[in-house]
Amino acid sequence: MTNIENASTVQPFNASTLAKPHRAFSPGRIGAITANTLTELTRLRVFYVLLVFALLLIGSSIFMAQFSFQQEFQILKDVSLGAISIFTSLLAIVATARLLPQDLEDRTVYTILAKPVPRFEYVLGKIAGVLLLLAISTLVMSAAFLLVLFLREQAVIHATLGQMSGAPPEQIADALRAIRSSALNIDIFPGIIIIYLKACLLAALTLFVSTFATTNIFTIVVMAFIYFIGHLQATAREYWLQEHSSGLLTRVFLAIVALLFPDLQAFNLVDDIVAGTAISLALFTKTALLGIFYTTIYTLLAAFVFYGKEL
Amino acid sequence: MTDSPRRSRTEAGPAVAVHGLTKTFSVPLHPGRGIVAVKDLNLRIEPGEVYGLLGPNGSGKSTTLKIILGLVSPTRGRTEIFGRDSRLVESREAVGFLPENPYFYKYLTGEETLRFFGRLCGLRGARLKERIDELLELVGLTKARKRRLGVYSKGMLQRIGLAQALIHDPRLVVLDEPTAGVDPAGSREIRDLILDLKRRGITVLLSSHLLAQAQEICDRVGILADGVLVREGHLQELIAIENQTELVIADASAQLVNEIESVISRSNAKLIERRKSTTTLERLFLEATAKNDEGRTNQT
Repeated sequence: MTNIENASTVQPFNASTLAKPHRAFSPGRIGAITANTLTELTRLRVFYVLLVFALLLIGSSIFMAQFSFQQEFQILKDVSLGAISIFTSLLAIVATARLLPQDLEDRTVYTILAKPVPRFEYVLGKIAGVLLLLAISTLVMSAAFLLVLFLREQAVIHATLGQMSGAPPEQIADALRAIRSSALNIDIFPGIIIIYLKACLLAALTLFVSTFATTNIFTIVVMAFIYFIGHLQATAREYWLQEHSSGLLTRVFLAIVALLFPDLQAFNLVDDIVAGTAISLALFTKTALLGIFYTTIYTLLAAFVFYGKEL
Repeated sequence: MTDSPRRSRTEAGPAVAVHGLTKTFSVPLHPGRGIVAVKDLNLRIEPGEVYGLLGPNGSGKSTTLKIILGLVSPTRGRTEIFGRDSRLVESREAVGFLPENPYFYKYLTGEETLRFFGRLCGLRGARLKERIDELLELVGLTKARKRRLGVYSKGMLQRIGLAQALIHDPRLVVLDEPTAGVDPAGSREIRDLILDLKRRGITVLLSSHLLAQAQEICDRVGILADGVLVREGHLQELIAIENQTELVIADASAQLVNEIESVISRSNAKLIERRKSTTTLERLFLEATAKNDEGRTNQT
């Protein structure tokens, strides 16, 4: 029962002290939407399923120790970084696709935007929540992967020391150096950052698609197409420009494809890391800036479309 | 009860002003055609009054409310809230809104829901906590504050919805079908809450097609049909029958009633109907269900 009879206990606030003057841009409001989006996503079971699956995959690679340690570390890195990349991408698309349509369907967007909240802050808060979720997921998966890699490295070192107990110190040092260089190396970290930025890009693109989509399924299907085209477009472009006479029409078509679909293959540095090729600072910076640029552009486009949307 | 209106300061101009409002929705794949939801609507709602926007389904009530709240843009005309253009975000500082059949976030508790909406309005810390406690008490959800909204009943959702609409102490509360789908007891609670808002000087704009309830709480009403305002005015003036008068007498003997009738028959007036006063079906329902609840409580 309501307590109308006790309503006298509700001290009316003075509007001038309760409501602060409106600010055109408020990090506090965006923070509230970000925190709420993160809460929403972490309370979804799909998030835990993806995470557990990824962790299981990383864990299972421990049992692939049938090979030489170089091969074992290569497979471990290949499988784990590949799994992190696929699961963060999948999480970015699945988690983001539902945010706007769900709020529209449940009419929660009305209650939020009927408060003094600008639409672009709502969009920024939503994407920030997803990016935070992706950062946490990437950190957790990367920590698990690095821990497994470190433990395997220590196990191999221990076994090698046991086998080489009578060998000269120089030979032991060489063996240990070989093990360490093929296990944990500094190039893994920029590789993980690029995987995260690729997931951010996909999240922002999904948010943009969802501003004019009416259902989650539509957004996910469109994103699946974009994902594959994005991965194939660089190869296709190379093929068309080399094998065929690159006429004006071909060039225009390829330019349009390149403009509409981000080159996702550019974010694939896993092969280089697995092969032990050092990632140059220039390549890392270029790829990272590309990721940030795409994420920003798609977020702005999403905010622009949502601004003019009839609710 | 805070009987005296707390808004002592004089409000300049109307709480809501609607000028020549027209909204046409385009039909997909038919660029030339459109559906007119609201046509040349003019409204003026004064501060402190309870205004009912009435009409059948599809008459344009919700569209009008959404335009006033800046959620939908008008095709022609303009709307203002306390003198500020509705399209400006800052005009919503003074407004609390409860949409029809709100769902909110099912994964949040009642308390978390109010905290979220409070933070959107710039409330923080102890002040926000205090406000949440007060509003949960006001809408009778203090015991359910830690429960997720997914397990709330329809009436409870409506009450938490009303609490979020009041979180920043707005001067205007807009309610879209506030009692739709709520049982009579819940409906009465919401009606009492609206009357309490009125006593506290808050302007209320509500849409409804439950006419009996609107009659109980509204000072003025406007009736929309096919997007056109067909009637508007003070409720008592609109429904009064000018040449008829009702006398309601308690404990009158048959002799007294006969004497009154004979006085009437000697004059030029005409007695139209003589009947026993009746209670309302709602009151009967509430009394019956309350007694039933008591019986159940005594048995346990």
